[in-house]
Amino acid sequence: MKAIIAATILGIIMMYAGFVVKEKKSVLSIATLLFVLLLGVNVWELLTAKPGETQMFFNFQLTVTPFSLWFNTLMTAATLLYVLLMGNDIIKVGKHVGEYFALFFFILVGTYMLSSFNNMLIMFLGIEIISIPQYILAGSDKRNLKSSEASLKYFLMGAFSTGILLMGITLIYGATGEFNISKFSFLQLEQVNPMVLTGVLFLIISFAFKVSAAPMHFWTPDVYDGSPTPFTAFMATIGKAAAFIGFIRLFHTSFATISDSWTMVLAIITAATLFVGNITAVFQQSVKRMLAYSSIAQAGFMLFSVVSVSALAWQGLVIYTVAYTMATLGMFAVLLKLKDYTFDGFNGLAKKNPLLAAVATVFIFSLAGIPLTAGFIAKFYMLQTAVAQGNLMWLVIFALIMAAVSAYYYFRVIIAMYFKTGDPEMASELSGIDKFLLVLTAMLVLLVGVAPQILLPNGI
Amino acid sequence: MNLFLLNAATNSLSDYLPILMQIFMAIGIVAIMMGGSHLLGPKRKTKDKLANFESGIKAIGNARQPMAIKYFLIAILFVLFDVEVIFFYPYAVNFKELGAEGFLAVVMFVSFFLIGFTYIIKKGALKWED
Amino acid sequence: MIQLAYLIPLFPLIGFLINGLGWKSMPKQAAGFLASLMMLVSFGLSLAIFFEVKAGAADTIIPLFDFIHSGKLLIPFAFKIDALSSLFLLIITGVGFLIHVYSTSYMHEDEGVVKYFAYLNLFVFSMLLLVMGSNYLIMFIGWEGVGLCSYLLIGFWFKNRDYTNAAKKAFVMNRIGDLGFLVGMMLVLYNFSTLNYNELFAQINTNQTVLSGSTYTWVAICFFIGAMGKSAQLPLYTWLPDAMAGPTPVSALIHAATMVTAGIYMIARSSVIYNQSEFALHFIAIVGLLTAILAATIAIKQYDIKKVLAYSTVSQLGFMFLAIGCGAYTTAVFHVMTHAFFKALLFLGSGSVIHAMGGEQDIRSMGGLGKKMRITQITFLIGCVAIAGIPPFAGFFSKDEILASAFAHSPILYVAALGAALMTAFYMFRLYFLTFSGKFRGTHEQEHHLHESPAAMTFPLIVLAILATVSGFVGLPEVFSEHHSLNEFLHTAVTNFGAHHMEHNTELMLMGLSVGLVSVMIGLAYARTKSPNFVANTGLAKVLENKWYVDEFYDAVVVNPLVQFSGFLDRIIERKGIDGGVNGVGKMVRWAADRMRLLQNGQVGAYLFTMVIGIVLIFVLGLFFVNF
Repeated sequence: MKAIIAATILGIIMMYAGFVVKEKKSVLSIATLLFVLLLGVNVWELLTAKPGETQMFFNFQLTVTPFSLWFNTLMTAATLLYVLLMGNDIIKVGKHVGEYFALFFFILVGTYMLSSFNNMLIMFLGIEIISIPQYILAGSDKRNLKSSEASLKYFLMGAFSTGILLMGITLIYGATGEFNISKFSFLQLEQVNPMVLTGVLFLIISFAFKVSAAPMHFWTPDVYDGSPTPFTAFMATIGKAAAFIGFIRLFHTSFATISDSWTMVLAIITAATLFVGNITAVFQQSVKRMLAYSSIAQAGFMLFSVVSVSALAWQGLVIYTVAYTMATLGMFAVLLKLKDYTFDGFNGLAKKNPLLAAVATVFIFSLAGIPLTAGFIAKFYMLQTAVAQGNLMWLVIFALIMAAVSAYYYFRVIIAMYFKTGDPEMASELSGIDKFLLVLTAMLVLLVGVAPQILLPNGI
Repeated sequence: MNLFLLNAATNSLSDYLPILMQIFMAIGIVAIMMGGSHLLGPKRKTKDKLANFESGIKAIGNARQPMAIKYFLIAILFVLFDVEVIFFYPYAVNFKELGAEGFLAVVMFVSFFLIGFTYIIKKGALKWED
Repeated sequence: MIQLAYLIPLFPLIGFLINGLGWKSMPKQAAGFLASLMMLVSFGLSLAIFFEVKAGAADTIIPLFDFIHSGKLLIPFAFKIDALSSLFLLIITGVGFLIHVYSTSYMHEDEGVVKYFAYLNLFVFSMLLLVMGSNYLIMFIGWEGVGLCSYLLIGFWFKNRDYTNAAKKAFVMNRIGDLGFLVGMMLVLYNFSTLNYNELFAQINTNQTVLSGSTYTWVAICFFIGAMGKSAQLPLYTWLPDAMAGPTPVSALIHAATMVTAGIYMIARSSVIYNQSEFALHFIAIVGLLTAILAATIAIKQYDIKKVLAYSTVSQLGFMFLAIGCGAYTTAVFHVMTHAFFKALLFLGSGSVIHAMGGEQDIRSMGGLGKKMRITQITFLIGCVAIAGIPPFAGFFSKDEILASAFAHSPILYVAALGAALMTAFYMFRLYFLTFSGKFRGTHEQEHHLHESPAAMTFPLIVLAILATVSGFVGLPEVFSEHHSLNEFLHTAVTNFGAHHMEHNTELMLMGLSVGLVSVMIGLAYARTKSPNFVANTGLAKVLENKWYVDEFYDAVVVNPLVQFSGFLDRIIERKGIDGGVNGVGKMVRWAADRMRLLQNGQVGAYLFTMVIGIVLIFVLGLFFVNF
């Protein structure tokens, strides 16, 4: 709760900071400082919370658990890492620098709400608070036609999915007369009402849109490709994680008792997502677009946590989001250092800049799920939850096949870097801080790969 | 929930027959009337008749002309603030019951409102001239 | 002492880190020296631990930290030291050390030598993880690690496109196998909720968890698919001959002595599971036998010195799987050990030859090298004798044990296996005679250049030659001695399936038969190569020279349809279509793809329309799966 208030106020301060401070670099410094502050507030709230205690706010509309506090802290830390890694590229996107950072704060507000909502209206608010800033971020490079196109497409299709979300909420409210997702009447319906089941399907569809799962994924490649690269990185990582925490929270607290009715549909969506994401990524020529499809594919893996209803799934989601976020942020940071975003642009990078190539290799390994990186542990957790579920072996095997396919397109980057000759053009030289941060991120990826337990402290 | 007609175990398809009949009737009557008038009515098409009606003024040029983005901006901002004013009506009705706490909440709401308003003014969104 | 076992993988890791991080500033000689030193230390430790285990030290688990801990599941990062792993430790670090020493000389001119030693150390580290892990997950980490290193080392000379393609092929084939391993692991996890060997095998042995036989079969087959990829068995063996693109010491270490035997190790380790499924064992025996025969026939007609050795490796691996299929795990491990010595010897010898010939690998332009390089010749001859199975060299004992267990199983298996063994003798001696005796057939320049290799290369040859001569005595058959010392050593770790005893007379007769026939084959090889004339092959010989056209078959049946299928999807799903990459897609597909592409034109309307169709489909699915 403190974090929500802090993030809102800091966002407003950031909005106004743009008027007071004209120098872009200074705005970046202020933003960094404020993000550190926000992380501090999160940590403070986390440390002062009693273990196992659930705090209620606003007539039970928000229930803050240690898990949600932990998730918020991780996401804030990820945002801070993101700002540190790509700050210099963010301020190059356009004129309204202060606003970009303000929007990140607002997205974090939405994230906090999604990790602790107890009421479907708050959930709706949270989803809109993370979505609308993303529409704006997508179009922030106003002079660029592709960026404006991305923004408009995202907005139109997003509005479409919001409509479906509202329809779902309405149907469920109609059947139960209740918005509170943990109320008894909501959870245990003696006789399952067709209206509820229809509503659940609608909710699945709209969440599938938010997390870019097939067949609602059409916006993803266009939007991710068109948006300014630093913002693509944000949308693909923290934006997606926020949607997932909302997804799992709603479906596991409210619909766990009727999970028989929806898991199979969601499992098929998962399989379709894995298929579409991986197969289409194989043929991309641009690494940026490949990462867009790979983010669809990774969403497929994250969907495992929603499909399998168990406490393990929550832990798995935490590990997967962190692993995926770190590796993707790192990969985008590497991408931003290059001029040419195609695979050929990576040719010979190992010769020209061995450090950049080495960290990129770590990130790629993690995305592909090679052991001793965070990505492997994350995939392992996900598959394990599905295996524990029992009747999803087919999905596990399918996911493994798709993971094998993914190695193909991820390794193309490595082949380009190490086994091909070329002279990649750099967009900017690496400063000492850049090097330090990239190596740090790579180290974190490896650390989580070796000791994933650090992401799951006791009582979470 | 007509969608689940097929699967409704308790009520059979025949229970819905009257509704189906009514739907067919409704659609049928409309279709017959429209089709009938279309076929039977006299038609004399002239160029003047087919032209768009523009209050007696001759239609000139393409209607899809680019307009200054300012129009839209002002319109959207108007809608935004106009709609938020609606929240004051329920507050006015419940003013006494809500007491001091309610007052503080509304003050907070209004201050957020004002912050946004100052922001758009400072950003120059309401400036008509560039 | 055993508690210090975690130091064994640590040293190669340190070597990797130093060489890997400092590959720009590291002096070349120092890199090789450092890497070899690290291996020597590991080897010393392995030796100490081996003798301690031999002296009767109990199985030990060395926990390092909790790797994964969620819910009831606990997977520790721990090492297991028992008879099986200590034996493998010895082979890996011992042969590894010799090959490191050899490489310091063989690779000294290469500019990437520091990187090379970094990879080599990393490989040894991963291989050690593989054999030392106390659960399947650690094994899998090592498993993937060795695959990665093998990929890096095959493509070490990455400027050659064929070499990088070979590396990619190896990686993809291995990944197919890994898939099986992973599924097997998931099945184990699901059924037993543990991946630790000790708990798992205890559960099976004490019947705590009663499962149907078919579950065991599934697990066993899945694991075996993993082994097929890594140990190059039908149908996934084609990567191994191509893997010869890497530097020759790499072929010796990875693709002959250690990595390819990982599959054997895995199955020997899982012997408890395999003993539950006779079907899986039969399956393995048949696959192994077919691989042994097929690879041997191909090797007969190859002209590239390393290709012959590569196919002989595939064939020998087939023998090992045949032994496993007959339930004789210890025999397979025995053959792994002897094979590691003589095949490393042969590969290093071929490296010495290639070195002398200035990079030439075609045996048609060799001949008479024996006069110029005596040590290489003699050690190579020892290797050939050992692999052909002439007593008292090492290969005889291990191969004979395999043949004996095959005979005990079924005489048909025996006859087929004997045939493959005879072919082995033939093609190895054909290789030997063509290379070392007769007249030199290369250019004058090459002849002038011929020389014996430096001491750093001949020293490992001599050591391996001695090992290839004497190592067979650890497994003397019962006919000759009271105890089979290797079996006794291993019996605490590995349980053979259906132990069989043979009449001593029968056994002696079989031995005599095989030795006699092998001698005949050697004579035949000598006669055929005395005055070699290399006319273009026809008929069956041509088929053999072209490796039964298996690569072409895979291209036609698997690779091309896959490529075409992907291309088809590409056109349908990806709006812009991709210019290259798609060849030979039929006209019909093009037409359909064009129509579909009109739908996928990047317009929001079209996207929304497709989404609505998707939503409708979801609701239709809902009608099936949801109980409205």
